[in-house]
Amino acid sequence: MDIELTINGERTIVEAGSGDDLATVLRQRGYIDIKCGCDGGTCGASKVFVDGDVRMACGMEATDADGSEIQTVAALGTQADLHPVQQAFVDNFAVQCGFCIPGMVIEAVALLDSNPDPTEREVREALDDNVCRCTGYQKPVEAVLDAAQRMQGEQSVAADGGHPVTVAQHRDESTSCCGGGCDE
Amino acid sequence: MSNDDETAKADGGTASQSETVEDERFEEHPLEWDEPENNHKAPGERDSVSHRTEKYDDRKLVTGQAKYTADYEERYPDLAYAAVVRSEIPHGRVTGIDTSAAEAMDGVEAVLTPESDTVPDAKYTSAGQSYPEPSPWDMRVLNEHVRYIGDPIAAVAAEDRATATAAVEAIEVSYEEYDYVTDPEDAFNEDAPQLFEDGEVENEIVGHDYDRNRMAHIGGELGDVDGALDDDTHVHETEWETIRQSHANVEKHTSLAYTDEDDRHVLITSTQVPNHTRRQLAHLFDIPIRDIRVTKPRVGGGFGGKQAMVVEPIPLALSLATDRPVLYEASREEEFYAMRSRHPMKVKAKTAVTDDGDIEAIDIYALSNTGAYGSHGMTVAGNVGSKPMPLYSKVPNARFEADIVHTNTPQTGAMRGYGAPQGTLALEGHLDEVARDLGLDPIEFRRRHHMEVGDLDEIAGMMGGEGANRRIRSCGLDECIERGKDAIGYDDLEQPDADHLHRGIGMALSAQGTGVAGDELGAAQIMMNEDGSFHLQVGGVDIGTGADTAFLQIAAEVLGCDEDDIIVKSSDTDVTPFDYGAYASSTTYISGMAVKKAAEDAKERILDWGAKLLEEPVDVLETGDGTVYSERSGNSVTLEDIGYEAAYGDDEREHILGKGTHCTEESPPPFAAQFADVTVDETTGEFEVHKLVVAVDCGVAINPGMAEGQIEGANHMSYEMAVSEGITLDDEGRAEIADFDEYGLPSATETPPIESILVETHEPTGPFGAKSVAEVPTNTVPPALSNAVRDAVGVRIREMPISAEKIKAKLDERKA
Repeated sequence: MDIELTINGERTIVEAGSGDDLATVLRQRGYIDIKCGCDGGTCGASKVFVDGDVRMACGMEATDADGSEIQTVAALGTQADLHPVQQAFVDNFAVQCGFCIPGMVIEAVALLDSNPDPTEREVREALDDNVCRCTGYQKPVEAVLDAAQRMQGEQSVAADGGHPVTVAQHRDESTSCCGGGCDE
Repeated sequence: MSNDDETAKADGGTASQSETVEDERFEEHPLEWDEPENNHKAPGERDSVSHRTEKYDDRKLVTGQAKYTADYEERYPDLAYAAVVRSEIPHGRVTGIDTSAAEAMDGVEAVLTPESDTVPDAKYTSAGQSYPEPSPWDMRVLNEHVRYIGDPIAAVAAEDRATATAAVEAIEVSYEEYDYVTDPEDAFNEDAPQLFEDGEVENEIVGHDYDRNRMAHIGGELGDVDGALDDDTHVHETEWETIRQSHANVEKHTSLAYTDEDDRHVLITSTQVPNHTRRQLAHLFDIPIRDIRVTKPRVGGGFGGKQAMVVEPIPLALSLATDRPVLYEASREEEFYAMRSRHPMKVKAKTAVTDDGDIEAIDIYALSNTGAYGSHGMTVAGNVGSKPMPLYSKVPNARFEADIVHTNTPQTGAMRGYGAPQGTLALEGHLDEVARDLGLDPIEFRRRHHMEVGDLDEIAGMMGGEGANRRIRSCGLDECIERGKDAIGYDDLEQPDADHLHRGIGMALSAQGTGVAGDELGAAQIMMNEDGSFHLQVGGVDIGTGADTAFLQIAAEVLGCDEDDIIVKSSDTDVTPFDYGAYASSTTYISGMAVKKAAEDAKERILDWGAKLLEEPVDVLETGDGTVYSERSGNSVTLEDIGYEAAYGDDEREHILGKGTHCTEESPPPFAAQFADVTVDETTGEFEVHKLVVAVDCGVAINPGMAEGQIEGANHMSYEMAVSEGITLDDEGRAEIADFDEYGLPSATETPPIESILVETHEPTGPFGAKSVAEVPTNTVPPALSNAVRDAVGVRIREMPISAEKIKAKLDERKA
């Protein structure tokens, strides 16, 4: 059947069979920023926003998304102008192979949207169903905490343009495991 | 890792201890290394190396724009999709394959069985190693004799994934079932079912005895271990057991094959070993090497699971049969039961220690379950001894032996650490136990005996490959221990208030190698453009590790240019120079040194042109900040001026090219000291790991941010080995794990904070002082956590994983 989706701001009609998962349907339309690492709904790499909620695209039927608005990681920032969460992942060396990163970034953006100043524990809970094999979770957790600081900085001190704290400064200030932002 | 067949050829080879021979060996491995002056830079002199340079591909990765193999599907409108029929029985012979229903289905393009024309009728090993591989040729692409639940029998290509899957389900296989064996100790019995007939396997490995399911037996000895054990010493013996771990690379094994407009066979594939795969495909399909092109896009993790030609023959055979591009992407379920896993092992450790606490002998024996086939079986087992035992290279008597046994269980293979995690658990757990039994401080005990600069390590070579003997020229173990102790709070550990809770700290040391000693080759080429920018072409394989970034930092350091002015192209066998691939912790050291040599070659030409333009002698010129400048006059000329002059000058023209190729006998060990801080509830056995600290000496870290990522990721993988069940099997050897939600990969909340510490040393044989980092922190958490639990509540868990039930049982046992 034909379903209507708004993907990254663009309205489109796509064909989906019954049983087709949303990730497969969107990837066939060229949205390769949705990654598939499992057999459906367990690894978190395919996370996207569906009407503002985080969903694993491979774990939901495409027809269930009919009429909804979908946002993928590609819509958050460009290579030249990264979203603060993307920038924090880069600056904190939270990315190795990168396969899990689109899902991680989506989940982190959702967390900071609802909880702009999370504790380390809250970040870990948010990323709990995102599988990362290369980096483990230390640097991604540090990146999300760093992103939270940057985004808060942007809101409160707009004058500095949200200039990122350098990793070196960040580490020097840190006496704890997570880069200074954790609750331990 | 050492897949060097030289290291494991002799069965029980004994090294002589006579002084004359020792002197000769010392001369063969001098402490002094003829290091070029430019290789040793103080931290302040480094422009690119040891900076936290942004990872080359990161912006594409965080925006989802990077392409992995499956992302190429949109480029091929006539792409067909592959799926594989796999054995549903642990052992037997296929007596019939009914493909009629599948072939009648709309959209099915081809169904291949072992008899099909494009399916090679040849034996091979999937192990991605040098040639001839030190692994037996015991596999076929499709099988009539099936040896585990998961063995491939038939393959399908269809218009879409759903049709391919439906066609596989429509194929009916009939079997004659054989007896099977899943336990490695049972497999040794004379009346056990036999997986291979004698003489059936090609390229057999030393010590094989297929009548007893033994794929190989290896061993070696220094000194006289039995003599030392008989002497007036304290003899301790312990036995350890490790899990069958999944690589769990988030990108599944994926491979796309097609024949291009020039009749050449192209594979876009998720691999660690493009050149080995090209050679292996050429041999298997009887196609000239030059007619195969293997290219690696971004890879979503390998960890050894892709140091193998695991899936590539399937899409190639189907593409040849259909004359269409074919994509094969394994399912996650197949990843757990039909790809590769870490060899589960039982390891025995025995030592002789004097009253004074001197270690007189170390004796290690490993029984390795290689599963149905023998890829990486012998070499992984060899590393159980040859990686950890050199930590104590001063010990006068040492012996290592291993049996590698077939069972009707899923295939094993290379996995990060490559035998070292199994050996490190046994050795570091054992020595901790010995120290505590003798009333010695376990850390001081290790510190007293561990390797140091100047040592001649003969343990790596004791199994017959004297070339693997090493002189130690960098070792930061003492600093690793000191800084690790400080970070974990070793000296001021506070006990919990509650009486039933006990806190303890455990430590483990580890050593690895940097490349396979004497069995590596890497090459690179640098081309300069008119505008002073460069193309770096390198065979080294970035599988998500950041190798491309390390390469460009090394090149920029030599060329004195901006990192942004270098375009890196790696791992396309048509374009990039030869390389053995990403394994054995070799990439930065071997391929990176090839890059350095290529950059130096190009720099020589650049300085020559600089001399011409500046009208000054070459020996006063240097590169830096995108220029060639004179140290005498201070005059300078930009690389761009040189680039244009070299390309378009009036009287003389030259394309500035640099080439580098690197191989070496050296394989310097990186080192790690691991600490684990745990609290155990003595009433339930439940435990909480508060923190892991791991201090690593990887020489000069080319990119400290990436090195920390490697260390913390490796430590997470190591933690999994300590606390998770891995891939569990039922009585028939069937994997009980089908997806991530059933596999015990510690999640973000289940993983303790991990603190990585870089301890810088200078390794004179490595590029700018670097040695490896990726594997050594994979080895250490199981022994450190076992030691920590012992420290907290006095009981010892030797069988992984460590669980509350096992601790409780031991506590109850002690009470009784």
